[in-house]
Amino acid sequence: MPEVTSSAKVRPLDELDIAGIVRIDERITGSYKPDLWEQRVMYYLRRDPLASQVAEVDGKVVGFMLADVRAGEFGLEEPGGWLERFGIDPDFRGRDLGRALFDAITAHFRSRGVTSISTLVDQNDKSLTGFLGSIGFRPSALQALEIPL
Amino acid sequence: MKVETIELPKKYHGAVEHWRRHNFKDYELLMDDWEKYFPTDEKFCLCAKMEVGTPDVIQIGEQKGEKKRIKPDELTENQAMHLLAIIKAQASTEFGSIQQHSGTLDRAMDDQDRAWVMRVMAEELRHGYQMLHLLLSEDWSHVSGGITGEQMVEEILSMTTGSHVLDSFNLDYDSFVDNVTFAAIIDRVGKYQLTMQKVCAYKPMADSMPPMLREEAFHLAAGVIPMRRWAQKAAQGDPLISMHMMQDSLNKWVPRGLEMFGDECGGHTNLKYGFKDLSNRAAVEQYYVAITKMTRDIYARFLRARFPDYSPEKIETTLRELESTRGTHHGVAFADLLRVPDKRFFRRKGEHAFLMVGIDGETFEDAEQYLHYLAKHLNDGYIASRDMRNYADCLRKVAAGEMTRDQAVKAMPKLKRVGGSCPCSRSVRWVMEEANGEQQTVAVRNH
Repeated sequence: MPEVTSSAKVRPLDELDIAGIVRIDERITGSYKPDLWEQRVMYYLRRDPLASQVAEVDGKVVGFMLADVRAGEFGLEEPGGWLERFGIDPDFRGRDLGRALFDAITAHFRSRGVTSISTLVDQNDKSLTGFLGSIGFRPSALQALEIPL
Repeated sequence: MKVETIELPKKYHGAVEHWRRHNFKDYELLMDDWEKYFPTDEKFCLCAKMEVGTPDVIQIGEQKGEKKRIKPDELTENQAMHLLAIIKAQASTEFGSIQQHSGTLDRAMDDQDRAWVMRVMAEELRHGYQMLHLLLSEDWSHVSGGITGEQMVEEILSMTTGSHVLDSFNLDYDSFVDNVTFAAIIDRVGKYQLTMQKVCAYKPMADSMPPMLREEAFHLAAGVIPMRRWAQKAAQGDPLISMHMMQDSLNKWVPRGLEMFGDECGGHTNLKYGFKDLSNRAAVEQYYVAITKMTRDIYARFLRARFPDYSPEKIETTLRELESTRGTHHGVAFADLLRVPDKRFFRRKGEHAFLMVGIDGETFEDAEQYLHYLAKHLNDGYIASRDMRNYADCLRKVAAGEMTRDQAVKAMPKLKRVGGSCPCSRSVRWVMEEANGEQQTVAVRNH
């Protein structure tokens, strides 16, 4: 069992977390994208501010998971939970923070009467598919399709 | 998480709609553009929203463990009077902020920022509506001094900038910078108040809080995100926005925000009555930490745009260096740093009222010197206002020993709109309410 989040606090996202999220993303991807994250954080805050979660250690944001409830898209009329983006500061991996964030999101989705959670993943990203598999995601009948233009 | 929606009786719903037509003229435009700016978001609903499934038991105070009260006459008389004042003040702030936003809304440089503020206004209208629901859905007559629900609604809807209960809602905006700073600074006080009131021993009040708080999250973002983007533009040399403009606006609103929590030594009645779960001082401390973080993040955004090659760690080091040396770093001076003013700066209420303290904690002995200092650190439009003149008059008297600080706090006059309940009505009389309660007519406006 990894060193779980004994010193970590998981709480709903707020607008003051933008800088922390930008920093985590930059550590992971190597690129600085404040505009993108301002846009995404605003999107999630205006739709369902309690769904998305961040993990804090000693007052510093070290992980985030953005999610919301959607209905009526792609012919899916039933409200369903969607997990979009998440990231854990590389220095804080191996502490089960991803699971803690996901548990908090799941609890919120349940309180909204949601019965399933979906996400899209690049199957070639073994680390990501591994993580999603470990928290219970399984392949779905819904398939992502694309045509190159 | 389940929410019940309630519409006010037709007469009152119509009164709010009528008020909205006068005070929020762009409402229809917002509804028309909703899909453009907020695609797939739930449509706006002018209704009261009550959270279902909140705790039934009082969580704090002398009645902790007892069943929450669901009617005003289940509260003690003192409790009911106190809560009624809170609800009326809250209603006043919600409607007041719409009036403030309206004045400078059209000056927004960016259509998206404007649409965000319009949504904030619509949701504040709903919050005001929520408070009217609390006033009208139960009988408060035993503690309202015989004033009926209808009269209370009329009083609230007749308030205009200058006559609201709290000072922050009596200041005109001087530019769209104020719209945004207000959302980041003053709406944040609202977030703290609503969060504290989630425990309220009066269940309808507690049930009102979660839906309002969810909307408030957007309001804060509608303040912080444009400020972050402005910081980037300022760093890149955009002549139309500067850190100086943002700092002046912070200097105007932060002191009023701190005062909205009430006197630092107070708030214990709310704890005793089970209406809030933090004392004023505890809440102010948390708030101050939050706005300091917000301001620092915005400034880091400025530095990163100014020095795009710097790593996040180097930005943090630079920021710390500027804060500790108060010097300069490749043309960026400490004086240009966006920062939260000292808690004692430009205060007119609370334990720091009428002390002469600068943004960085520097103290002044001479009132004229301090007023000149304020004139340098507040925007011109605000300096040339009646509000500032009243403050200056009191400050000079305090400094000359003609008035105690406590007397000065009480002497800050208020304009009170007396007359019809709606801007349609004619002959509105403005009165200056003096410390002794006497009223003096200062202006009559005929429509």
